[in-house]
Amino acid sequence: MFTHWIVKPGAPQYIWALAVLGDFLIMGGALFFLLRMVPSRFRKTLVAAVTFLAGLIYSVEFFVPPDPATGENFLTSFAQKTVTDVVLVLSTFALGLGIYSLLRFHGRNLARRRAGWHNSLALYFAFFAMLLSGFWTMMGKSPAASNTYDMLFRGLVAAPGATMFSIIAFYIVSAAYRAFRIRSGEATLMLAAAFVVMLGSVPIGEYLTSGLPTTGFLSNFRMENVNLWILKEPNMAAWRGISFGVEIGALAMALRTWLSLERGSFFEREL
Amino acid sequence: MDHANLPIAILEGVLVFLILFKIYSARRGRDLYIRRIPGLNAIEEAVGRATEMGRPMMFSPGINALNMPTLQALSILRHVTSVAARYRTRVIVPTCDSVVYTVAEEISKDAYNSEGRPEQFNADDIRYLSDDQFAYASGCVGILTREKIASSFMFGAFFAEALILAETGHNMGAMQVAGTPSITQIPFFITSCDYTIIGDEFYAASAYLSREPTLLGSLVGQDYAKGVLIVVIVAGIIAASVLGVDHQLLSLLSTFGQ
Repeated sequence: MFTHWIVKPGAPQYIWALAVLGDFLIMGGALFFLLRMVPSRFRKTLVAAVTFLAGLIYSVEFFVPPDPATGENFLTSFAQKTVTDVVLVLSTFALGLGIYSLLRFHGRNLARRRAGWHNSLALYFAFFAMLLSGFWTMMGKSPAASNTYDMLFRGLVAAPGATMFSIIAFYIVSAAYRAFRIRSGEATLMLAAAFVVMLGSVPIGEYLTSGLPTTGFLSNFRMENVNLWILKEPNMAAWRGISFGVEIGALAMALRTWLSLERGSFFEREL
Repeated sequence: MDHANLPIAILEGVLVFLILFKIYSARRGRDLYIRRIPGLNAIEEAVGRATEMGRPMMFSPGINALNMPTLQALSILRHVTSVAARYRTRVIVPTCDSVVYTVAEEISKDAYNSEGRPEQFNADDIRYLSDDQFAYASGCVGILTREKIASSFMFGAFFAEALILAETGHNMGAMQVAGTPSITQIPFFITSCDYTIIGDEFYAASAYLSREPTLLGSLVGQDYAKGVLIVVIVAGIIAASVLGVDHQLLSLLSTFGQ
């Protein structure tokens, strides 16, 4: 908020970073102090009022008809930009707490030499290596800085992520084996449906029923058409049925949260 | 951003009215019946199992930020932590979002306090792992194997990491209860978990577990809202089948879906 008043345009990036950090701390401290000043019996009411006002912005924005030329109404830009920025700032505060929790947990592991303490050491190494190389890249345009950052990102972040993703293929096989074991009528039906869908998706499936005509009643029995029918009719019907329930459940939950009726299920007492 | 047209505004208004009406009638003391959901009954069984084995439990609230599925997951976390506090069993909560982490920590602390066991709360059991999907998944796998988790709960929005978590828990022999509104992940949970809560049952969980009148009323209101949607769908089928696809009634109903 005050950053643009204090820092002159063209100042180095690290000055901007420090000014933004200071701004966050001052604003956060002021908000915290103001909230502490509110008597405790009014604090819940204040939280409920802020929640209601925040929800009201999006509700009014959704229901007020937009200008046909721009597709926006008087609240669209406020809801899209300003509110999103506020949410981003609040999330940044919480990110600090998250990182503190992570470092505290692994710091204790290291200090007490708990089992697997070397993993905690690896975390500290990776964390500070990424942090420092990020700052180094931000402060200058040196090729060494960006190469180091790229190497750490590809070697320490992207590669293990891809490895974890590839593990899913093996887990799918073991899960499918259990799912397709014939133990009941439903499991048999599912096995048969899955067999047809898999067969209909590969060339050999099409080949098996290639003798059937491509038009007329008998074309419905071609493997690729049976496959499509299973996916588009019974499967889609079940999918939409579940979706209706999920969306109405989400609407009810959103209403309870917006009107602060849900608090009792998170904390000791309802408002 | 999307905006409501007139039919959507009317439909939304009807659904909201039904839900709020049932909430307020429940608050006035009307007795409401809700059906049994085995997956939610299994929560106590899972906590009991962990207590008997003397091992901790893990509760994953999904990988989304603080949105509706995550809020619902956190309300279930509150119940699980309360039961765990009664049985003096640890619940490890790995989180993937820093805001969810802070809220989960407060909820856990409050649950232990309200059960009269504040000394049992251990801040190290509520952990922020990473914002990255697969880094979070590998962190959870590490907790499942290193801590020898006896019971694992997975509630919230899950994506590709769902199967990694559920299969590891299954291989570890943990009792697993899962619930998600992510339709694509439901089959994976069904094959790997002991109990799976699907579809709108996920959003019924807080009402079912707490039996608070507000939440029970909301649940019954949801059923009424579903009834309204079924009426719209049946009217659409009749209009298309009997009156023809060009009939005015069908074009009016189809605007509800736009």
